[in-house]
Amino acid sequence: MTFAIQFLIDVLSLGGAYALMALGLVVVFGILRLVNFAYGELIMVAGYTMFLVSGSGLPWLVMAAVAVVMAILASIATDYVAFRPVRAKSVTAVLITSFAFSTLLQNAALLFISPRPRTVPLPDMFSQVVVIGGVITPMRNLITIAAAVILLGLFALLMRRTVLGIAMRAAATNFTMARMLGVPSNVIISAAFAISGLLAGVVGLLWIGRIGTVVPGIGLGPLLIAFIATVIGGMRSLSGAVIGGFLLAFIDTSLNYTLPQDLLKFRDAFTFSLVILILLWRPEGLIKGPATGQRT
Amino acid sequence: MKHHLLTIAVLGGLIALAVGASEAFGIRLYDRIATHLCISLVLVLGLQVFMGNSGILSFAHIGFMGVGAYTSAVLTIPVQMKGMALPDLYPVMQGIELSPYLAVAAGGLAAALVAAVVSFPLMRLSDAAAVITSFALLVVLYTIMTHWSEVTNGPRTLFGLPKATDLWTAAVVALLALGAALAFKESRTGRLLRASRDDEHAAAAIGANIPLLRWRAFVVAALFAGIGGALWGHFITSFSPKAFYLKETFLILSMLVIGGPATVTGAVIGTFVVTVAYESLRALEGLINEAKLIDQPVIGLTEIVLAMAMIGVLVLRPGGLFATREIGVLVARQMARWETRSWTGKPPTAPSTTPTPKNPKTSG
Amino acid sequence: MLEVTDLEVRYGAIRAVRGISLSVAKGELVALIGANGAGKSSTLMCIAGALNAAAGSVRLAGEDVTSATPEKMVRKGVATVPETRDVFPDLTVSENLRLGSYIRRHDTAGIAQDQEHMFGLFPVLAERAAQPAGTLSGGEQQMLVIARAMMSRPTVLLLDEPSLGLAPVIVDQIFAMIAELKASGLTILLVEQNVAKALLVADRAYVMRLGTVSTSGTAAEISANTDLSALYLGG
Repeated sequence: MTFAIQFLIDVLSLGGAYALMALGLVVVFGILRLVNFAYGELIMVAGYTMFLVSGSGLPWLVMAAVAVVMAILASIATDYVAFRPVRAKSVTAVLITSFAFSTLLQNAALLFISPRPRTVPLPDMFSQVVVIGGVITPMRNLITIAAAVILLGLFALLMRRTVLGIAMRAAATNFTMARMLGVPSNVIISAAFAISGLLAGVVGLLWIGRIGTVVPGIGLGPLLIAFIATVIGGMRSLSGAVIGGFLLAFIDTSLNYTLPQDLLKFRDAFTFSLVILILLWRPEGLIKGPATGQRT
Repeated sequence: MKHHLLTIAVLGGLIALAVGASEAFGIRLYDRIATHLCISLVLVLGLQVFMGNSGILSFAHIGFMGVGAYTSAVLTIPVQMKGMALPDLYPVMQGIELSPYLAVAAGGLAAALVAAVVSFPLMRLSDAAAVITSFALLVVLYTIMTHWSEVTNGPRTLFGLPKATDLWTAAVVALLALGAALAFKESRTGRLLRASRDDEHAAAAIGANIPLLRWRAFVVAALFAGIGGALWGHFITSFSPKAFYLKETFLILSMLVIGGPATVTGAVIGTFVVTVAYESLRALEGLINEAKLIDQPVIGLTEIVLAMAMIGVLVLRPGGLFATREIGVLVARQMARWETRSWTGKPPTAPSTTPTPKNPKTSG
Repeated sequence: MLEVTDLEVRYGAIRAVRGISLSVAKGELVALIGANGAGKSSTLMCIAGALNAAAGSVRLAGEDVTSATPEKMVRKGVATVPETRDVFPDLTVSENLRLGSYIRRHDTAGIAQDQEHMFGLFPVLAERAAQPAGTLSGGEQQMLVIARAMMSRPTVLLLDEPSLGLAPVIVDQIFAMIAELKASGLTILLVEQNVAKALLVADRAYVMRLGTVSTSGTAAEISANTDLSALYLGG
């Protein structure tokens, strides 16, 4: 029984984090059909912001808020630097500019801060342990689950109930038609990037909370997770991204529990093989996105 | 046909010139740069074979470079040294020692084989999903290289490869790669693939099996990458998995993107341009560090400048320097103009060949 | 109300619209008719702000709106229903309508009122209010996009081929709607291939051919004088 609870908590907390990562990516992809390679760097920005304000003496929650705001700003900056100038040209162009921007940000951190890991302040609450049903687990896991539930819930509410959300869903289906109803394209796009930044910022702090330090390349892991979760979930479906995140967490956790010790370091290779199998079966991902008729 | 010969002549001449000049100067540094250039050419031309024809970005390319390098390493490290270099190597491999030339070919084949097996399910994916998965594939290859200590010595440096690659070897392979890339481009597979890049439905309607075509290009590209990796391994004689990851991917990509992914000329010129820029910037970084202008070591400056250059090129000339036409075509046109002029004494009126762009308004 | 002068629209080197001039007075319904490829839709889309004008001008109530974006045109009271009948298939009928009122999104009472009004005009939409718009039939979708355009309370309505691909009975219904909209004081520019129906509702008409206006006049004049079959066959 304790095993089941342990497994459940692990999957839910990891899945919550993964789902948030994936959602942050799909928000932009769904509307713009463009992959943001600099997405992982939003987490890096949140981390380094925490490092830079750690000496200020402010309460942790305030520092965290500042870090999330910086992630939002960095996300909007990505739009202006890497997307807007080339959006009209081609899909590949945007992939490359965002990849270049990602390299730029990482090397800027390398150059202006340091290549070595830097400590990030964490609230004591993160490492406090809690006992649930005989299982000992860090509070951080429960906070992650709570954060995921709250953010996903708010996001769903935004998408379904508010005019902005409806406008974003419409823009994701047919951008031009949305404009012809008076929906300002710039606002929609900036909103998408801002939401992406918010999700990345929050999940970034939780993610960094597991290690406690930040390096320039810290965004790579989450980026990959977001990528894979999105691909298996269905690239243009918001719910698909969330499901993909939980599914990926399930696969990863299961492999963690079942792989023999010497194969554990190859866990990512196993995960990827499973992903390939899923893609063999369903190339568009598990959940179909909004109908368009054109090739994705 | 004339165009293609012209293209090979011009580009091949450029390579020969670079190599010859380096030999003439006789400075070791230039030799090293020129050899790196030729190896990069092999890698970038390989990437062009896939990216240029299919229109899909692949991040996995450098991973296959690693496969080639490590395969060739295991096959060529002298038996006496194998004990030290790869302490955990499987007994069955411990006695193997092949000639580097065979091993380089084996490296290419190994990369092609891995690509063939792993990539087939991925070729049916839509563009964005395909790119993302190729990125994941790079990471997986890197993970395997970092942890498969028996064969790669894990994250540690693998040393002991015989230094079999010299400037001339690299140059010859680069020239062969040039010819092969052009041949692929003009082959039936290449043409059909380009057709599918421009209009997937129309191409499918004429019977093009798009996943299969993409797969072929991907495997050929991996072959190039494996050979390039093995060549590089035998030049540098020791390396670690870190050499086959994001930084190199970024560099190779910048070479192709700045030059122009759609043309072989773009691949070659881009490699030249970025190599020169990279070496210059590295030298500049070195000077700044030596002069101790700033107390922290200056690293990352090169990548930042290259990243900005890439974004700049994509904004101003999204197709790269050579976006559509091979240099052979351009040279042939110029020659035709000169001929006409010498016949009539007047410059000919150039026909306008601007493609019809779309008209829609984009941002508000 | 709407003044178009010497408008030119290009697709690269191709001139789809080669300098046309037309006007629509307040409260008028003007039809733009002609064979396929005559440039009617391009003209409309250019007025709507979705296409760039290579030359010429568009004036709305005296104000130059030639380079206005589609969003701006909607804010100035010009609503467009494109030929492609773009409903948002995954959004419900209600959500589609709500999106039509985006520019008035803070006026919740007014929007609710207008939605009721639309449901009154188009009862079939009321029935399907919670259904995804993609499940509606062609005729229902046409009604939806007209209703959606009306939700922004426009003063000018640009309609592109509303009868396209619809059964004759449905076409009658649509045109009855259009006549009612005109009767309520709306200024309408209607692009149509169904010449007969268009001339029945229109006050005036312009006949376009290969990017220019070949004839213009009142609806009565056009239907009496022009060889309709020649129009259809592009003569």
